[in-house]
Amino acid sequence: MALLQISEPGMSTAPHQHKLAVGIDLGTTNSLVASVRSGVAETLADEQARTLLPSVVHYAPDQAPLVGADAVPYQATDPDNTISSIKRVLGRALTDIQAQDHWYQFAPNNDSVPRIKTAKGALSAVEISADILSALKTRAEQTLGDQLTGAVITVPAYFDDAQRQATKDAAKLAGLNVFRLLNEPTAAAIAYGLDQAAEGVIAVFDLGGGTFDISILRLRKGVFEVLATGGDSALGGDDFDAAISHWAVQQLPPALQSDRATLRQISLQARQAKEQLTQQPAVDLKLSQELTVELTLATFEQLIEPLLKKTLIACRRALRDADMRQQDIAEVVMVGGSTRVPRVREVVAEFFQKPLHTEIDPDRVVAIGAAIQADVLAGNKPGDEMLLLDVIPLSLGIETMGGLVEKIIHRNTTIPVARAQEFTTYKDGQTAMRVHVLQGERELVSDCRSLATFDLTGLPPLVAGAARIKVTFQIDADGLLNVSAEELNTGVSAKIEVQPSYGLSDSAIEAMLQASMQHAEQDMLQRSLREEQVEADRVVEALDSALAKDGQQLLSAAELSVITQARDALITIRQSTDQAQHIQDAIKQLEQVSEEYVARRMNQSVRSMVQGRKLEELQD
Amino acid sequence: MYFDFSQNYFEVFQLATDYVIDRAALSDNYQQLQSQYHPDRFVNNSEQDKRLAMQITSYINEGHKILHDDQMRARYLLELAEVAFDAEKDTTQDMDFLLSQMALREAIDEVDKDPDPLTALDDLMIKAAEQKKQLSATFQCSYANQEWAQAKEAVLKLQFFKRLQHQISSKQEALEDELL
Repeated sequence: MALLQISEPGMSTAPHQHKLAVGIDLGTTNSLVASVRSGVAETLADEQARTLLPSVVHYAPDQAPLVGADAVPYQATDPDNTISSIKRVLGRALTDIQAQDHWYQFAPNNDSVPRIKTAKGALSAVEISADILSALKTRAEQTLGDQLTGAVITVPAYFDDAQRQATKDAAKLAGLNVFRLLNEPTAAAIAYGLDQAAEGVIAVFDLGGGTFDISILRLRKGVFEVLATGGDSALGGDDFDAAISHWAVQQLPPALQSDRATLRQISLQARQAKEQLTQQPAVDLKLSQELTVELTLATFEQLIEPLLKKTLIACRRALRDADMRQQDIAEVVMVGGSTRVPRVREVVAEFFQKPLHTEIDPDRVVAIGAAIQADVLAGNKPGDEMLLLDVIPLSLGIETMGGLVEKIIHRNTTIPVARAQEFTTYKDGQTAMRVHVLQGERELVSDCRSLATFDLTGLPPLVAGAARIKVTFQIDADGLLNVSAEELNTGVSAKIEVQPSYGLSDSAIEAMLQASMQHAEQDMLQRSLREEQVEADRVVEALDSALAKDGQQLLSAAELSVITQARDALITIRQSTDQAQHIQDAIKQLEQVSEEYVARRMNQSVRSMVQGRKLEELQD
Repeated sequence: MYFDFSQNYFEVFQLATDYVIDRAALSDNYQQLQSQYHPDRFVNNSEQDKRLAMQITSYINEGHKILHDDQMRARYLLELAEVAFDAEKDTTQDMDFLLSQMALREAIDEVDKDPDPLTALDDLMIKAAEQKKQLSATFQCSYANQEWAQAKEAVLKLQFFKRLQHQISSKQEALEDELL
């Protein structure tokens, strides 16, 4: 391969030129923005000194969307136009979303992107998330007094490609320049690691409102290396609330069990009950005018036990992936509001047999870590050696025969990473091929998440198995996938940006598609010429090898001469013309004059196959 | 600043081209290379620099993965020595070895009968690791003596252990999923 020259990276900024960069924790329940000011990372508050921005948006006709605390009261009065927990829908298909978890109404639409009916029309999760990000951007610019150069946005480590892409799209829509998507647990480790200059292997247990992550990291000489991550992108404190709600609904008389207003009321109380149970042994739930029930801490802990079990199994798996055992873990960091639940702390401490880190506010620690990383990436700390090595959270594979998935890049491989895979055609003259990309750990296509399907077209028509198509899967530092393909014999290449199977039709991607279509038109003539040239070579080669075998035997001298003439004519035209059609005509001509020869060869080979065999054998 | 993609992975990590490697040096040089070329170092640079940084770190990551893994490193050494591998045809003919592999695979299926299947699988994993160690020693010896056929045989056998370990962990995951 060629020697490459890299230009000197102009990383350092002039000393006085401090670039404003923020870290944003876009959470299921609450979102935060933080920045490094005078060397200290701190979360930024609004005018009323509130740092947490509830991830709630209220839409009213002819008004700008209300975000955060101002939107919260509308959850009770105007639930259909007040959207919460939107992160659970981000980058997901309608079929992935469990209806009972959500109170809002999905608008019918003809693509697979879920759109939520609001007074402002049908909105996608990307648009709603962008409203939350805009509010944080405005807050940061007002507090810091200038425009932002860039942001680090955190995502659950377990987010797949589609969810990461959707997060990036939302940021773009909000007018943010994304330096990097950062895994939430990694951000938390940064917040702790730099404060305490820790070395060794640490586990980050992050149980937020809607997602659970476990990460195993190694800190060494300023390099954070993610060894393994695991978790569940649909497990969190909201599920604790849902468990309480579910339990409470069962205490209701049947007539009220499907009353929407009552259910909504219970759902709001469930969250409060969970929070109160961190301080007291029992709490009263007012289910209706007449009915109040008591929820004890013991019952609550029973309700969430199956959920906690899931988290521990994920911990086990992450340890195995990191090739570590419980005793190798030096530190355990607790992140996310749900780790305030005492039972959560108990089971985690028991599992790792370690005291836990809970010193930094578990709601803020991610945003603080993201701000530190943003500051480094903006170039405000030249000479800072801190570097983050991240891994891909889910295995990436392609569909093979029989609905099976062949893994191309295994989960917990350090990114960026590129892996090439060779494919071949299974039919003579096949010129197109479909590749289905999936993400997940299971063997069956139906059990994995479909990321995208793309077609490779313009393959040279060769005999089955002769084409060698090299498909390269490249994952960048954000964990986003890019695919390119090339036929190795001819150098015909196709490049495809992976569009999530259920993603938004991003305007950038549309523009790219348009460009590639224009390009394709120019390419087409060139390509079909190349195809015919390859076809001509193949025909001549096949003919020559046949003639060498049995030409003398099956053909008279006159017949042979006619075929040879047509063959030579084809070769001359193939060398001289730039018109695909001319070559095609010459091929046809050659095929025509050798028709009889081909038929004789066929008969002969059938004879030799049949010779010396019994009829029964052939009938099988 | 240059990055020479024609270097083999041992050269990239400044290690002697040998089966026995200095793991500490591999790890240190890996981190050093990452500090130098990781795309995060080029956030404010041109798209071309970013893409180049991505390609270089992909190469570094791939190299680290191969050198870090005993079987992959062994195979890579043979490839550098121009010993050809053919995924379709290559396999070992050692019947005793194949029988012992079958026994190990049966043992994976048998763990369902074990009262503590997860621990049984852990034990199997340890057993496999021990046998693998012996094969590694065999490879090291053959490679040093340039006995390519024997060395290749060891690599092919190591591949069996790799698949076996993969099957054990898949089984572990399947059992864990059942517990959910």
